[in-house]
Order: sequence, then C-alpha cells, then structure tokens
Amino acid sequence: MQPDLAGFRGQLEKIVGAEHVGVGPTATVKFSVDGVVPGLVVRPGTQDEVSKALAACADANAAVVPWGGGTVMGLGNRPRRADVAMTLDRLDRIVEFDAANLCVTVEAGVKLAALEATLAEKKEILPLDPPADAKVTAGGLVAANLSGPFRLLYGTARDWVLGMRVALPDGERVHCGGKVIKNVSGYDMNKLFIGSLGTLGIITEVTFKLLPLPATRAGVVGLFPDLAQATGVVRKTLESVLLPEALELLDPEAVTLLAPRLGLEAPAGAYGLAVALAGSRDTVERQVRDFSSLFRDAGGRVTPLPDGRTVLAWDAIRNVFGFLPVPPSARVLCKIAVPISRTGELFAAACALGRRHGLHAAVTAHAGSGIVWACYLLGPKAPPEEVLADALEGLRREAEHAEGSLVVQDAPGSLKARVDAWGKARDGFDVMKRLKAEFDPRGVCNPGRFLGGL
Amino acid sequence: MIPKPLVDELRQVVGKANVLDSAVNLQLYQYDAYLEERRPDAVVFVHSTDEVAGVVRVCNKYDVPFVPRGGGTNLSGGTIPFKGGVVIEMIRMNRILEVDRPNLRARVQPGLFNLELGTALAPLGYQYLPDPASQKAATLGGNVAENSGGPHCFKYGVTTNHVLGLTVVLPDGGVAKIGGKALDTPGYDLPGVFVGSEGTLGICTEVVVRIVRLPEGVKTMLAIYDSIEEGSETVSAIVAAGMVPATLEMMDQLVIKAVEESIHCGLPLDCATVLIIEVDGLKDDLDAQVQAIVDLCKAHGAREVRVAKDEAERALLWAGRRGAFGAVARITPSYLVCDGTVPRTALPKVLRKVSEVSKKYNLMIPNVFHAGDGNLHPLILFDWRDADQKARVMKAGMEILKLCVEMGGTISGEHGVGLEKIDAMRLVFSEADIRSQVRVKQAFDPKNLANPGKMFPLPEEVRRAA
Repeated sequence: MQPDLAGFRGQLEKIVGAEHVGVGPTATVKFSVDGVVPGLVVRPGTQDEVSKALAACADANAAVVPWGGGTVMGLGNRPRRADVAMTLDRLDRIVEFDAANLCVTVEAGVKLAALEATLAEKKEILPLDPPADAKVTAGGLVAANLSGPFRLLYGTARDWVLGMRVALPDGERVHCGGKVIKNVSGYDMNKLFIGSLGTLGIITEVTFKLLPLPATRAGVVGLFPDLAQATGVVRKTLESVLLPEALELLDPEAVTLLAPRLGLEAPAGAYGLAVALAGSRDTVERQVRDFSSLFRDAGGRVTPLPDGRTVLAWDAIRNVFGFLPVPPSARVLCKIAVPISRTGELFAAACALGRRHGLHAAVTAHAGSGIVWACYLLGPKAPPEEVLADALEGLRREAEHAEGSLVVQDAPGSLKARVDAWGKARDGFDVMKRLKAEFDPRGVCNPGRFLGGL
Repeated sequence: MIPKPLVDELRQVVGKANVLDSAVNLQLYQYDAYLEERRPDAVVFVHSTDEVAGVVRVCNKYDVPFVPRGGGTNLSGGTIPFKGGVVIEMIRMNRILEVDRPNLRARVQPGLFNLELGTALAPLGYQYLPDPASQKAATLGGNVAENSGGPHCFKYGVTTNHVLGLTVVLPDGGVAKIGGKALDTPGYDLPGVFVGSEGTLGICTEVVVRIVRLPEGVKTMLAIYDSIEEGSETVSAIVAAGMVPATLEMMDQLVIKAVEESIHCGLPLDCATVLIIEVDGLKDDLDAQVQAIVDLCKAHGAREVRVAKDEAERALLWAGRRGAFGAVARITPSYLVCDGTVPRTALPKVLRKVSEVSKKYNLMIPNVFHAGDGNLHPLILFDWRDADQKARVMKAGMEILKLCVEMGGTISGEHGVGLEKIDAMRLVFSEADIRSQVRVKQAFDPKNLANPGKMFPLPEEVRRAA
C-alpha cells in the first residue's frame, strides 16, 4: 500500500520544522538509491526528532532510508521502497569526550574526520579507517560496518563500539552498552545494530573506545614482479611475531594509481605490498628493517614511505578506487571475505576476471584479514550485463567454496537486478527474519536492501 | 516434575548411562559459584551437536526448560536451573577439533577448559587471548555464554572480540553455523549477539576462535603501595602517559594476606595494595616501557617495584592473582563477588565508597580487580549459615552496584546477570531498553525454554500486578 505522503508531510514538518522537510525533485533526487527516488527528505536536528520522525513514518507505513555521509549508498540490493530519506547531518555534536577514560560519545551525523581532529587534540585515535573519512559519519560507519586496511591490527566497529542509542520504528528510544570497556549487563545489543544497515532502527548516537596516538608511525612498500612473491611475504609475516597495522596487497593497476602519491618508481606490472607500522621508535624502526629484509629476500624492491608522509600515504591507499576515472555508478565494486590463507587465491581470481573480460580493473586486499576488494570499470567495451553477472556469480562461488562470501557494494541497478548484492542467505536466516519482525514489524526500515531482502 | 516419557526419550537420544535423575545426582547440579540453589529434574551428558539437538528437540516437544552447563564456575547463577527442567552438561564435548595456523583460527568444542586450549597452543607459539582467572575450570562454551573477560582485556578485549564463528543449537532444536573462519559474514552479526547471552538463546556446540602468535617478549612487574589511592591513581597515570599494558591488576591488603597464606608467592603483608602490571609485544622497547612504568609507579608513591626476572617469578605472581578468589575462601566460608565496572578514573573514589559500605554493613570486603578495565571485584565475606549476615550481604552488594552505575559504570563487567543481577538491570536500563533485549530473546526462543528466568526483570507493570 502506498503511503499518503502529502498527508503526513505536515506531521513531519511539525516535528523537525518546515525548513527541514524537502519535497520535489530538486530536494529528493540526490537522495535516490539505485534509482529509487524518495518522496520526501527529512532532516531531524536532535535524537528525539529522529525518533519522532521515524515513528511518524512507521505510523504512515512510509519506508525510511537513513542517510549519513552517503559514501556507501550503493551497498545492498535495490530498495523495495524508499518513501522518506532521513539525513542525519544535523546530528553533528560531540556529546562527551572523556579523554582520561579513552572514550568518546558522538551523535550519528558527526563526520569521522571531524572526530579525528578533536581526538588528535588529546593525542588519541579511533583506529577505524574506512575510505572517505571526510564524508563518512559515525552512524554510517557503524550501521554499514565500514573498515579499512588498519583492521588487521585494530579490528572493526564491533571491537570499538562501547555503546549506542537507537531509535526504533515504534517510537522507542533504546540505549545499548555503556561507556566502560567491559560490559556484560544484558545482551550485547551493540552487535545487533552494527552492520544492520538501518534495517532494525536508526542509530542516533555512538560511544567509541579510543587508543592513545602511537608515538611513531612509518610505512614500507615492497614491489614484486609476481603475485606469489608478495603473498609469500604475507604468509611469513603472519607466522612471525611482527605486528603491522596493515598489510595491503595491491595489483599492478592499484600500484600505478598510487605510485605518484606514494613516491614509488614502479616497473610495469608490479604487484605491491604496503605495510603500516606504529608504536615506539624502537619497535617501528626494527619492523621497518625486518619488513625491508622480508621484501628483499622475496625478490622485491623496497620503498620506505617518506617520513611524515605516512598518514597521507595511507589516506591514498584506502581511497585508491577513488582515483579511477569514473563515478561509482559506472563501476562494480565487490568485497570478498575469505579465511586469511585463501586471500591470494581470491585476489588472483578477481584479477583474472577483469583480464578475461577486458575490464579496466583495480584489485586490493587487506591481506592479513582475508578481505579482497575488486573494482571493475564499466566502459563501452564492457561485456553485456548477463556475461558480467555470470562472471561475478562465478567469483562468488569461488569465495563461497573457500568458506567465504562476496558482497557487491556498487553496481548499476540493472546489474543488481541480476546479481544479488549479498548472495544467498545461509544458516541463521530464520532468526534474522524474526529479529527483523520483532524490531521492524511493518518493514519500514530500509526495506529490501539487506541480506535476503530484509 | 517433568513427565516420565521425556526422561525415556532423553535416554533414547544419549543412552541410558548419560541421563541422571536420582535425587542424589541431581543435588550435585543444583548450584554453581553463586549463592542460590535450584534442583534440575534431569541431567544429560552430551557428546555431539546431534545429541544436543536431539535433547533440545525432546525438551521442546514437552515444553520443558533446559540449561546448558560447562564447568559450573558461574558467579551470577547462570547455570542454575531456575525453573527446573533439564541440565545439559557439555563437559564431555571437550576436544580441540582443529588448530588452523595459516588462518589464525582454532575450532574447539565448548566443554574444553580455557586453560587446555592455551596449553595446547603455547608449544606451537600461539595463544587464545581471553584468559579468565577461572581458566583452569571454566569452559570455552561457558566463556562464550558469559562473554568472559580476564586480566588481559584492557589491551586485548573480551571473548566476543575473539570468537568468529559458532555452531549453535537453537531453542527449537535446529542447528545453525553462524559466522566462521572468514570475517564479515553477510547479515546480522549473530555470533556477536549470541556471545554473552548466558545460555538464553541456545547452546553453542562448536566455537571458531581467533588465535594469535605469542608475544615476542613479556615483562611483569609488582608495584607495592602503602595507600590504595596511590595505587589506583597510578593506573590512570599509566594510561594517560599513552601506554597500553597487557595487564593492570590490583589486590588490596586483605586479599594479599589470604593469597600469601595459601600460595606463598612472596607478597609483602604490610602494604595497602599491590599492582600487577604486565607489558608485552616486540622485545625492542619492553625494557624502556618497564622503566617508564617503574618511574610512574614511584612518582605516584609506590614504595617498591619488583620486576619479575624470569618465567618462574612471573608465574608466581600470576599464581597469586589467579588464586585470589580461592584464597579468600580461607577467611570466611562464603563470599559474594561483586562485578561492577566504572570508568577507570573513578577507581579511587569507588574504592573509598566500597570501604564505607563495608563499615556500614559491618562486613569484610577485600578487593581484587582488573584496574585497567575499571572492573571491580569487591568480595563481600560472610558465613552462609547466618541469615542476618546474608541479608546484609545482598544489600551491600546492591549498594556497590548502584555506586558503580552512579559513576558512569555498569552492573556487570564479566560475570553476567544470571539470577544475581536481574533487579540491578533497571539501574542501567530503561523499560524500553529491556524490552528491546526481550525482543531478541523472543526472536531466538519464542517458547522461553532456554535458561528461563535469567537476565531480564519482569516488565514493571507485571511486577506491580503481582
């Protein structure tokens, strides 16, 4: 049943103020998801307004798509419905920064880069490093469970979220967790909402655990003629006592894109392995030495990242696909997750897919975590969609055969119609459906985008 | 009482010898390390996922509750069959199924003792990080159910940070593999929700954990203080200096005395408190870290700081800490372990308040705790034969939890809610918060058969009507 948007627009205006409700194409088109254009855009200014607006939408049976920084709106399947886009950019307050206890509480719309700047004043960090931190919001980071190369040492949102506040579609506002680092009071509700892509409610506030800023940071890049040489170093690293922050594997295209930004002189066709190191000067210098020898012993060329440029270099590495000359709508971006030792194999398979179909592609991997990212550009020479869909399903089968998964993060809507973004639902899906029914019985929270159409 | 045919059907699933239902046997399963007791109607020993699923299906058929049990070390009454029914004893599912070094994972059965996994991994150069003090007798399945912590959480996190996959028997008897060796499984984070659910969402029958290399070096220190404030202030000072030690543990004078009398690990009997501090990682800067910490301890009033010279000295310090709960039992026949958590900087204040509670109720309350995590374990000593004392103990315990919450903390850091802290849940959660948790329970266990009567207070309105 189509909701009567005109009817409850007035209601939303009462909650957030008329100036914060947008209608008509100029306001709404930029909030479309996979071509589905919402009827209204609402910009609540407080957590309470989020809750009331969400409840009003639920009462009117209007489907709500929450928006943070909009950096991963391609993630998931095409929405079943999108009546209201709820943007959280006005929830941009840092609620409490308790530096002495290494924790910070922020509203969902706080930009990660802004948060990082605040933390830096007290020499603290939140070591989650998704691409596009200038745009990514705290709520989006958590709702979409975003991560980057540094997850090797630091983990992901599930390791750093201590608490959160969530608005549920029935108007209830709930608090999960707290601000202490050990907490088993009741269920670990944070875990339910992390990565749930706004399908159970809208995260309005997050409390993160923090770390002291490492005293020293450095980086080294190895360039190798063969992929096997680079993956051999990864294997040796994981067998060693070394503790790199990141081990990022780069295909020749990624190396080419990054070379000018990292000061690399890369021979054509070279694979790269970039290593990030942090800690005291002694441990960092020792690891730079150890990795340099590992690289050389494997037949690689060693380039230390220039002193003082490490942060910028890693910013480039985690945003490498952004240097490709196309907008997200003209590419297919996939994330493959497999057991760590299968990373090289899936990395090679992702590269081969591009070559086989003459696609301009870049492939990288968080090689110590089993995560491969493959980005394929859809130019005029790209194969027909049914061929591409078959190829992606083939790659997915390889990932699943290795006890892993493949998720399509960006793809044109027409391709998404052929390839499910998440793959087939597996064990535990019945429980997931019941969780969805308990929290969002009317199915108004981001319907259709998540696993199995949740 | 449970129906006779149910017991017969249980015997068909697991074999006659694996079902206990005589009064004397049942009595052995009516308690854990908490103070309440409740007798089960049957105890079943299981040996495989299929058997667990079979037993749960039988319970489901007769609408009889079931409670999984591992080592029985739970401190909040988590394994007590509050509504009777069947206790499912997991202890015989105790094998390490796989140590997968290339993938940095191990696959284990839930009845394995935490320490046994550590002992198996160490010769290979690996470790599983969560190591609760009860690791000799606590099982990994129990660790999963309680989201156990231990003395290394400040740097390395708790059980949930190291459990990546589970095979679970759901309360309807269905079996699901959730998560796995790979990260980022699509869908809701069911392993994340399951860890810490205290047996109320089902039973895990296989666990995939992260293993990591043993650190290249470890240094352990003992800092000795004449005032407990100075000790707890040192903890914040170390963190403020940008250091992340693996361990920051504290014991007060009463605990030190009990430990020394039972374990003889060389602790000074005349001090107010000791801090056990451990740093680990690459060996290059460990000496510098130790020096920096020694200097900080001394600047904050430590009268002496000892650095363990070798593995034997280190082991002795740890034997003292890990044996603390046991040693305290020398003082009185019983104690209630509180498990409140506060932001680290509130430690000096909360310790002062705990000593006020001790005076107010005329009860001895020694303290042993994970200072780096702000996780207190005041041990309220009493004699269980004295009803008046027991009543005072419960009041004092609740008052300590209230203090923790007032200071921005919570009611349980690692021991769970169980039976003990059902009423305390309202100190930290609103009715809406609790309802949201009950929704999760409802989604997993609509018939409320998995460990019923735990964790959640009745809704306020129901309670008023009753």
